[in-house]
Amino acid sequence: MEYVSPEGLRLDGRRPMEMRQIRAEIGAVAKADGSAVFEMGNTKVIAAVYGPREVQNRSQQMNDKALVRCEYSMANFSTGDRMRKPKGDRRSTEISLVIRQTMEACILTHLMPRSQIDIFVQVLQADGGTRSACINAATLALADAGIPLRDLVTSCSSGYLNSTPLLDLNYVEDSAGGPDVTVGFLPKLDKVTLLQMDSKLPIDIFENVMQLAIEGCKAVANYIREILLENTKQLEYRRGL
Amino acid sequence: MGLPDTSRDLSSEVEVDAFRRLFPLRFYERHLSESIRPDGRPLGRARDTTIALGAVASADGSGLAKIGSTTMLAAIKMEVMTPSMESPDEGCLAIDFHMPPICSPIVRPGRPAEAAPVVSKQLSDTISSSGMVDLKELSLVSGKAAWMVYLDIYCLDADGALFDAALLSAVAALSYLQIPAVSLNEDGRVVVVSEEDGGKPEKEPVNRENRKLTLKSIPFSLTCILHKNYILADPTAEEESIMETLVTVVLDSSSQLISLYKPGGPVLANTSAIQDSIALTRQRVRELQKILDEANSGMEVD
Repeated sequence: MEYVSPEGLRLDGRRPMEMRQIRAEIGAVAKADGSAVFEMGNTKVIAAVYGPREVQNRSQQMNDKALVRCEYSMANFSTGDRMRKPKGDRRSTEISLVIRQTMEACILTHLMPRSQIDIFVQVLQADGGTRSACINAATLALADAGIPLRDLVTSCSSGYLNSTPLLDLNYVEDSAGGPDVTVGFLPKLDKVTLLQMDSKLPIDIFENVMQLAIEGCKAVANYIREILLENTKQLEYRRGL
Repeated sequence: MGLPDTSRDLSSEVEVDAFRRLFPLRFYERHLSESIRPDGRPLGRARDTTIALGAVASADGSGLAKIGSTTMLAAIKMEVMTPSMESPDEGCLAIDFHMPPICSPIVRPGRPAEAAPVVSKQLSDTISSSGMVDLKELSLVSGKAAWMVYLDIYCLDADGALFDAALLSAVAALSYLQIPAVSLNEDGRVVVVSEEDGGKPEKEPVNRENRKLTLKSIPFSLTCILHKNYILADPTAEEESIMETLVTVVLDSSSQLISLYKPGGPVLANTSAIQDSIALTRQRVRELQKILDEANSGMEVD
């Protein structure tokens, strides 16, 4: 099947190095300490952060840093066919672990000992790149909750089909069976915190594909920074400053 | 913009917040005696309600309902199934209500919220007993194929009046539902006809005429809290946690009573309290009907 036409257009009309349209909104869930909705094309996720709050399970309490918990779940209607088991299956558990470890790396946990930070991510529509959208949404939600972060974490995926590196795969391109590289990136520190790949790829091509994903992460970071600045201006305005 | 008189105003504001946390009941009674609530609403008024249709593009029908901060997202997915022996001409409607941990600080992952199965059962009972959906409309080929409608409702923000918002979002999703066109292929199995196939399809769609459900007697509800002699319409989560006696009244658009639900509680209601709740609900039904009609006509213009 042809994923990149001879004119260089993908199935949804994008160029190989073009990301899908991103949209983000802060403060979607009024009850949460911090929350955000993040959309990458048709993938829509909502993240809520509760914390720092008292540890619910005393035996897990850590005396020198905060406990970070994360749960990823998909809505029944998020995928093409209705899902029977939206959480507790292997994929959801794995993604919960990945998101938790990624966010834990950038939260300054030693500033909040004996407390717990809960990150809950719910996928409302899934069209490829859910992992990346969840990490981006979680970053925004943590910033909205005012939790001290080392740096923003942004994430983007890329792949290699029809001998072309492609940025930000959607579901059809993702299930084509080609390699799928997901990168989690700290823009200010210029460091990679998450790197996952499946399928096979020669090493020199892998360098290009990973660089492409990192460029995507930087673009997401710029957008997230704009959103946060806009949000802060709104807060200042409401306080009458 | 001059700076506010910070020192005095902040300290009195802190006292009000502290009073609200330490003595919530007295805080509310001070307001109720003036016939008003802390958020400025009169006792009988519900919060601002909005409906957005088609929020989830990948589902066959969806609706997002917000009552104040309480947000519910309902989405419908349809699958073809074989109908049961006892009712070969009827499809099936399965309703499920979920409260994921994002909606409230008291919901813990791994342990579902107490309210979730209760609201789920209430919704199933109300929608099936109201007769809103005629199951015979869901039949495709008598005895062989019928639609199974999965209606999933997710609570995205829990701030009181969960049942009202969930029912409203379910009704909105059902009114927006587009039934996919299907046809019989050679094996006699029903397949979904894709709309992007250009040209003449070899198989005739089985149900081209009825793409939307006809809904009769749409149910609308209002939850009220009873406290001493006061009746508070549409409670927030804070009000629900302090004053525990709830009454939920469900009426349909012709003001017939579909269900009345009062699950115990410290306050005993006499008939006049029940009648007052029903009167408040009747008013609310008119508001909700208008909001739903506006949302539907808004989508049709597109």
